[in-house]
Amino acid sequence: MEHFIQTIGRNMFAIFGVMALGGAAFMIASRSAVHSVLGFLFAMLCIAGCFLSLEAEFLGMAQILVYAGGIVVLFLFVVMLVEMSKKKEKEVFQLQSRYAVVAVLLGAALFLGVFRKVLFGAASPEALVLRPELAQGLNVAGQNAQAVSRGLFADYLLPFEILSVILLVALVGAVVLAKTERV
Amino acid sequence: MPIPTLTQSIVITLIQCLLVVIFVFVVVPLTVFAERKVLGYLQQRLGSTRVASGHIGITGWMNRGMWKWGRIPVLSYWRGIPGLVADVLKLILKEDIIPAKADKFVFFIAPALSMVAAVVVFAAVSFVPGVFFTFPTWFPFVGGLPVSGGIADINVGLLWILGVASVGVYGIVLAGWASNSKYPLLGGLRSAAQMVSYEVPLALSLLAPVVLSSSLNFAEMSKVMATGLPFWGLVPQIIGFLLYLTCGFAETNRLPFDMPEAENELVAGFHTEYSGMKFGFFYLAEYINMTVVAALAAGFFLGGPWLLPFGLQGLVNPYLPGFLSWFGEPHAIFFVVKIIFLLFTYIWVRGTIPRYRYDQVMSVAWKYLIPLTLFNLLLAAAVRCFAV
Repeated sequence: MEHFIQTIGRNMFAIFGVMALGGAAFMIASRSAVHSVLGFLFAMLCIAGCFLSLEAEFLGMAQILVYAGGIVVLFLFVVMLVEMSKKKEKEVFQLQSRYAVVAVLLGAALFLGVFRKVLFGAASPEALVLRPELAQGLNVAGQNAQAVSRGLFADYLLPFEILSVILLVALVGAVVLAKTERV
Repeated sequence: MPIPTLTQSIVITLIQCLLVVIFVFVVVPLTVFAERKVLGYLQQRLGSTRVASGHIGITGWMNRGMWKWGRIPVLSYWRGIPGLVADVLKLILKEDIIPAKADKFVFFIAPALSMVAAVVVFAAVSFVPGVFFTFPTWFPFVGGLPVSGGIADINVGLLWILGVASVGVYGIVLAGWASNSKYPLLGGLRSAAQMVSYEVPLALSLLAPVVLSSSLNFAEMSKVMATGLPFWGLVPQIIGFLLYLTCGFAETNRLPFDMPEAENELVAGFHTEYSGMKFGFFYLAEYINMTVVAALAAGFFLGGPWLLPFGLQGLVNPYLPGFLSWFGEPHAIFFVVKIIFLLFTYIWVRGTIPRYRYDQVMSVAWKYLIPLTLFNLLLAAAVRCFAV
């Protein structure tokens, strides 16, 4: 019994990973848009489980809070509000296999290009940290939130702020685009 | 102290889960009963006093018994309590109707999502810091092992609570969509917009305790909030408590914010098409959500397992005489009493304040609550910066 549970505990990442892939497959394969959103939700929750099994508790919780609790709800809103007839839904969601295959191949190629070194290269001898003196005395497994905030507000402050400016630009752009119709 | 093996710790966790579920399923039906009675007395009537249907048979016998209880001062308040059993039986035994054009799978999964999201929040709630009780050594398999006061002592417990609570929206939205009917869809969309809006001030009002206690762990936060704050910590605590409670009312869809089931406009909102135990799950989830919000308010603002609210305990404790030291220590009973008081407050407010209009609900969230919570966050930061 003890041995069995330990084996499960060691393979938690693989279990959640397979479940996430299952959710993603359900999302692609299902015929109704709302079912797709449900599959996406399941995949997001399983990815949060993956983060948890790697002791990255903060990332796991942020995954649930942001993706499962925020973004997927917005997806659901849009899907529910844009009510389509069965025929239209079929045209939009089910007769695009050719383009989808091309898009998937393109995405896979890009992914491999970016992550080739990570996937197949030798493991880096030490973690990439710009200012290691800031991380001293920090127990990353026990103080997840502190470690992430060190990264965001000390090591990578400038990229982080630029990223938020980009988000702000997108937000303002969305408001402008939505407003012009009424004027 | 013996170190538990993995299997033993899993068994202990299961026992903790069982205890929490028992707690929830004792508190929730009593809240339903209290709602009837307290609302009744607030409106100068008696509330439920008997079981429906009957001068004959077992119900007649019970009704005659309860009639006699009416003359006894305290027991007369408890007359209708067998009606609870009747309610549960009715929910379980009633025919489960699924509309013909409904989406079967989503219709089935929506109440389950609501219920699970409501119960799972308790994983991060710590009822008492440290060890709750220790199993006696004769106990099989887990004898002599301590049981801690919370199920999972994770260092980002607050994020867990907020995250899982935000998953609870799905139950309502999906129920509204899957019913394939006009009123539930409108009710579901309304309540989703309401809950998504109120999540912002809810999270912001909980950030004040985070700033004051510099932790995200429930047990640690409630400890610092109850005993480790300077005198000026009182101000952001009291304001934060009122703001959090307001957002909590809206988040659990209770009056005065019960837009999703505004019955004069939307029949019964998102659960119009639900019947039987599926409706029962929504009903249960609403009351469990109330308990969750009450538990968080009690834990963060009313001192949790310590006796005095708003951090007064830390100010009083140094002057506490020795024979009263029991009141200076954390006990689970204080926590439970606070939860029950807050549940009473829910009913009290329901009997007192009429419902908001929908646009008023939204403007309360975006125009008043969010600026107020930001202001409170600023206050908390000032206390943290200058007064510690």
